[in-house]
Amino acid sequence: MSKLRNLAVLTATAAIALVAWSCDRQPNAVGPNIGTPLAHFFVFECTPFKMTGGGRIDFPPGTADMNPPASHEYETFGAHVMASGQTDANGNCLADQGALEWIDHRPEWRINGSPLNLHATEITFAEVATDTDCKDGAAHWGGKLRVQNTGQEDLDFTVWDCDNGEPGAGHDGFAISVPALDYLVACPDESLPPAEPTCTLTGGNRQFHPTH
Amino acid sequence: MNIDTMRRAMCLVALVLPMTWVAGSIAAQMQLAAARGESYGVAVNTPSLNQKSPYAVLPTDGATTIDRGQSVALGDYVTAQDAFAIVSGDADPSYGSNAVSSATLGTVSLLNGLISADGVVAVATSTLDATGAASDAEGSSLANLFVNGTAISDPAPNTRMDLPGVGYVLLNERNVTGDGVTSSGITVNMIHVVLQQPVIGLLGQVIGYQTVGNIIVGSATSGVN
Repeated sequence: MSKLRNLAVLTATAAIALVAWSCDRQPNAVGPNIGTPLAHFFVFECTPFKMTGGGRIDFPPGTADMNPPASHEYETFGAHVMASGQTDANGNCLADQGALEWIDHRPEWRINGSPLNLHATEITFAEVATDTDCKDGAAHWGGKLRVQNTGQEDLDFTVWDCDNGEPGAGHDGFAISVPALDYLVACPDESLPPAEPTCTLTGGNRQFHPTH
Repeated sequence: MNIDTMRRAMCLVALVLPMTWVAGSIAAQMQLAAARGESYGVAVNTPSLNQKSPYAVLPTDGATTIDRGQSVALGDYVTAQDAFAIVSGDADPSYGSNAVSSATLGTVSLLNGLISADGVVAVATSTLDATGAASDAEGSSLANLFVNGTAISDPAPNTRMDLPGVGYVLLNERNVTGDGVTSSGITVNMIHVVLQQPVIGLLGQVIGYQTVGNIIVGSATSGVN
């Protein structure tokens, strides 16, 4: 009986140690730095998480109000990302999987007769942002994408992703940058909710899950 | 079996059984949690044509999918440019489920111009978390909509207009499902034409109308439980 008790104690200790190890923060892991320093989305950690959903942004200006429909000044998207908290040799937080589909309906972003359509081909990093006021969670992630209109491949992109409660419209936020296209849908005004540089969703929802 | 062996077996069961309860509980919740989503640009359902395009459906294990059609024509019923259907979401019994569907179109024309628009957006969103379940159609819109020559701006949900000789159209149509606590769902159809034919009585008079088909432009559906 004492052997069994010892085994139980050992198992419990191992389990606690495993949980403690897996929950330990790794504050030095940072993804690619794009753009100027921000008041939000500046401190990251590699922990398991998942972010799902999609919706609509009316950028510019990217506030909670929809632009007049006839202006066609809006973007729609679907995106999810999953990470298990692993890092590469350089300390970058790795993503397990993800996807991004992005449509920019603005007339000035029509390319080859169609709205700009960005399609992620690879998610290379994903990390949790710990310095935002996104009350349900925030993430910073990105990778490579293809421009469906032109076939351009392997363009770097970065996303700032904010779950700021329910409903998503008027609360959650999203921003994206594709430097090679000089493309930036972001709202760096600190006075705008929910957390700069994200723009406020006018439709849809982002949902953060603090687990893989 | 001696008493020590029996005691050891009972002890082992006491240690292992709670683990199976936890695993079983999670498995049961996993089976119960669900997220559903689908969207499409245009759909025609008549005796001679039954088709949707572009059309996206949320996989059962969650993800993001898209379908697109730069130029879509379904018979003589509808033409559309720049049509996209996107769905994204997943079911998570621990931290909540969500589903977001959207359908967007550029220029659309129904029934040879009887109805036209040059920007259609349908967004359906459903979420389920510890506070309950909810759905909405925020983000949905219609631009430069004309119905039988009349400009219609920002139609209220479930606006109905008669189309003489054709049937009627529902604009910004919304159907909500679920109890709002453990389940919720919504379908939004931005333009829904119901094709009807008169039913003629024995004396040759019109005694009613029967539906013979449907044309839907900009449809998004989401649901969670």
